[in-house]
Amino acid sequence: MQISFWGVRGSYPVPGAATVRYGGQTSCVEARTASGECLIVDAGTGMRALGNKLVRESGGAPGQYHVLLSHVHWDHIQGLPFFSPAYIPGTRISVYALLTAANELDQVIGGITRHEFFPMPLEAVPAQFQFHQVEPGVDFVIGAFHVTPIALNHPFGSVGYRIDADGQSWAYVADTAPFDRVLHKQHFLSGPEPLSEDDRVALAAMHDALVARLRGVDTVVYDTHFTPDEYARFPHYGHSTPDQAIAICAEAKVRRLVLYHHAPAHGDDQMDQIAKQYLEKGEAVGVEVLTSFEGMTLPVGPEAAA
Amino acid sequence: MKIRFWGVRGSFAMSGREFLRYGGNTTSVELKTDAGQRLLIDLGTGATELAKHLMAAEFGKGQGSLPILLTHTHLDHIQGLPFFTPFFIKGNEIRIMGADPISGLSLEATLQNQLDPHYSPLNGLENLAAGVTISSFVPGGTIAVPGFVVTTARVPHGSMWTTAFRIVADGKVVAFLSDVEYPSIDEPLPEAIELAKDADLLVHDAMHADKDYELRRGWGHSPARAGVVVAERAGAKRLALFHHSPDATDEMIDEVVGRTAASTKVSVFAAAEGAYLDV
Repeated sequence: MQISFWGVRGSYPVPGAATVRYGGQTSCVEARTASGECLIVDAGTGMRALGNKLVRESGGAPGQYHVLLSHVHWDHIQGLPFFSPAYIPGTRISVYALLTAANELDQVIGGITRHEFFPMPLEAVPAQFQFHQVEPGVDFVIGAFHVTPIALNHPFGSVGYRIDADGQSWAYVADTAPFDRVLHKQHFLSGPEPLSEDDRVALAAMHDALVARLRGVDTVVYDTHFTPDEYARFPHYGHSTPDQAIAICAEAKVRRLVLYHHAPAHGDDQMDQIAKQYLEKGEAVGVEVLTSFEGMTLPVGPEAAA
Repeated sequence: MKIRFWGVRGSFAMSGREFLRYGGNTTSVELKTDAGQRLLIDLGTGATELAKHLMAAEFGKGQGSLPILLTHTHLDHIQGLPFFTPFFIKGNEIRIMGADPISGLSLEATLQNQLDPHYSPLNGLENLAAGVTISSFVPGGTIAVPGFVVTTARVPHGSMWTTAFRIVADGKVVAFLSDVEYPSIDEPLPEAIELAKDADLLVHDAMHADKDYELRRGWGHSPARAGVVVAERAGAKRLALFHHSPDATDEMIDEVVGRTAASTKVSVFAAAEGAYLDV
């Protein structure tokens, strides 16, 4: 299995001279098995270029695509209306997502293409869409992929995925805050709120479940949006630092961590510094730390013995 | 009056080397009077760059005031809204004006949907710390904001409408016609010609190279030639090609500009992210 990064940016796409090397498009990763089966994780703006590649590969023939969504914030779904395979009649697209509020998934995803936002409503798109609700703790299988959803700490909920195929294992952990200072729920936070005893218990349970599910995973792609200084100012925004990701990966004995969901303000030069700094920090605790960039492809290693 | 293009790209923000000279941000255009009053058109990703400049001055202190006109609410024209940092500073006064979408929702309800908790952790317009007022207008009238007088008109955009603007300040005129497709390229609507009458600068939708247009007729966007016809009929002095296709690299835009400029006596250039230009 290998994974390819089509969008590595958080929040919104960032064109310009400062993002030429790491890339400016938002969250989208493609996993491929050795036999060519494809699984897409998140539908940020990186999905447009992925879709164009998939259409070139298929020669324009209809296909079946599977898309796992971590959550439905704009930076994780905005590429969907620009995914060119969706405009090929006969194409089927299965979308898997956490139900984070009262609405049904088809209304939530359909809502992004409603008339005010996009010229073509979802029901008029030629591809046939199917929606599947995921639940942390309930594994499922998509072709050769075994998928384990993992609850994460993000405003209105988010879900990570452990993905096993070909005897190899990687995980997608975005978007998430760390599990000590703020517990994200279904309301707006203008700053960190004091934690109740129940909140601490819930955070510890989320942390423990994440570490348990990452155990033995070869490669973990993790939301490391913030530098430590930025996190200190915005602990309630729902994102982590590379230090927090390294701590989780070291605890779960993960071989390799990939920094991901870079803040829009982090230009290429700053990303170079972050990459170098955390490669060294990771080495000190036995975790190989890579920094994702648009166009990066990584072979996933075998699942480690428990 | 000066104009600065913060985002010139249509549909989709494009990063990468092929888009550096014209810029990959989606639409956002600032107009500034000689006295320093500002008017912003659209809140595409380009607005996030303008936001950095505004925050370095009075908007960072909660003392800024900004009127914003929206052509319409397709995502490429509003996707910078949740990241436009002056909204997060108490004391700033920001007024968003636009037509109601034809779906029946009001402009305010539409922007509220953009910040719906599913889609944005901001969880609603009420959580923006700045004073934000959203007012709908019916195109066809005139709006006065400090330093500017704006005439509005409804123009066709595929199966819907967008709002075009004629902006007068300091005795100069900018006509802004983005996201528009006329039933016939050679016969632009009289409203469009009226709006651009004797304009010092016409900013016009040029999403498609002329050679690509036939395949994309009906999608709601113009070929470069449409702006030329409007400029010639209206007697506009300069034409800025705008709302470049996400597939158009810098070299492709250069070619469109060269071909378009050779076809008319109107002075033609392609809108690019960058410096303030004198109107």
